[in-house]
Amino acid sequence: MEEGANGTVTPLASMFPADEAQKAAGRVQDAIAEKRRELDRVRGFAADNAALVNLVQKLPEELHHDVMVPFGKAAFFPGRLIHTNEFTVLLGEGYYAERTSKQTVEILRRRGKALETHVDSLKSIIEDLKTEASFFDKTASEAAEGLVEIREELSGEESDEGSSELGQKEDGPSISVEDKGKILNEDEEYDRLMSKLDELEKEELAAEAADNIEEETNEVDPDVVSDQSSFHQNLKDLEGSHSCMPPSHSERQASNEEFLRQTRQQPALVEKLNPGDFTIASSQKDKTSHGNDLLWNLKGPDIADKSPKLPALEENDHAGSSNNEVPIQPPKPKVDSLRAFTGSIIEHSPNLPINPREPSATSSKVPGSQSSKPLSRFRMQRK
Amino acid sequence: MSTSSALRDLQRDLENKANDLSKLQKDIAKNHQVRKKYTIQLGENELVLKELDLLNEDANVYKLIGPVLVKQDLAEANANVRKRIDYISAELKRLDATLQDLEEKQNSKRDMILKLQQRIQSLQAGKAKA
Repeated sequence: MEEGANGTVTPLASMFPADEAQKAAGRVQDAIAEKRRELDRVRGFAADNAALVNLVQKLPEELHHDVMVPFGKAAFFPGRLIHTNEFTVLLGEGYYAERTSKQTVEILRRRGKALETHVDSLKSIIEDLKTEASFFDKTASEAAEGLVEIREELSGEESDEGSSELGQKEDGPSISVEDKGKILNEDEEYDRLMSKLDELEKEELAAEAADNIEEETNEVDPDVVSDQSSFHQNLKDLEGSHSCMPPSHSERQASNEEFLRQTRQQPALVEKLNPGDFTIASSQKDKTSHGNDLLWNLKGPDIADKSPKLPALEENDHAGSSNNEVPIQPPKPKVDSLRAFTGSIIEHSPNLPINPREPSATSSKVPGSQSSKPLSRFRMQRK
Repeated sequence: MSTSSALRDLQRDLENKANDLSKLQKDIAKNHQVRKKYTIQLGENELVLKELDLLNEDANVYKLIGPVLVKQDLAEANANVRKRIDYISAELKRLDATLQDLEEKQNSKRDMILKLQQRIQSLQAGKAKA
């Protein structure tokens, strides 16, 4: 024990030596084994009881039964069981009562119930012992790892009492340290992921803002300030001049236009191309593609070409030219932007550090077969 | 020289106390066993009483005495079982009281032994210095 300025540092091993804790765990295990044996025994009784009930119920069905009567320890001789509805039942403590078959069955049923409650109580005892054993095991492993307990007194005075609670308290810090590391890790990954998403969103927005202005204002999550700002930025750019679009965009436009000419009924085609798509993704797709359809009808194909579907089309067809930027990038913007627009990721973002599983679950759900490659990279990072 | 003789006395004392403590612990273990036996008997008797209460007035009840079943009156059997239950409960209560007593004694013995050990240790330390 070292005296700190206003606290104490105690190695857990000094209070609970690892081998002692292990010994305790072993003792509890022994107790569990013993209880298990008892449970088995009681279960055997219950089974016997059930069989006896069956027999007692059947016996009075006949006037007499031919049986082998045990005679002494080793011998049997044939006999006949008569008075099949008369039983002398041992009630316990040397008391016997003459009962009929029906009454006997009632007695046996009551005994069966008592046995059942016994079994239940034994089960709960075993559960308790199990938790106790796991606690001892944990304490032993923690002590072996050299965990220390740091205590700082609020009053400044040191008190020796309460050392018995330490075991339980000990769990807190040890776990929280691990969690912190995890959370930090998650945070980093999350930041990386989000920045990537923002980038992709910006690209996508730049591409789409020109055509789907109304749609986007509906779909962009108002909570996300960065999205909005980038969106407005794009809006301004686009309002200024259409030629301000990124070069890659115009390139993509060209390739996409080709595509469009080939396939006019694009959304339906997409559906066909991605038969294994998840319903969430496809429903979202429907929404956007509907909007695109409308816009097509209004403005013509040269505007609709930047719809988020096209990249997916290209990827699935492998029709897109290989030296084009588009096939590499678009699959990500497509799915990610869709998710961003519906807010599926952004809604979860505040929970992410606390509940890191949740977004990963959604992200693993949303990407279908079409974009498994880029998103699996994210998933790999997460794990 | 005086310290060493005192030390020897203390050690003998400690030995005696330790013997007493182990005896007490044995008693406690015995007490536990007897208690367990009585609790089981109590449970059995209660079961019997329940069944006897459910019997009709004219039911034949036998008591196994040695190798023979002796016919007994139902009311008599009922009374016997009740008496037995009372007896066992009283016995259990008595065992509880003695158990508590024994545990108190055990704790005080343990404290005494601890104190003795500390004294012996301090004496030995003093001797080592001197």
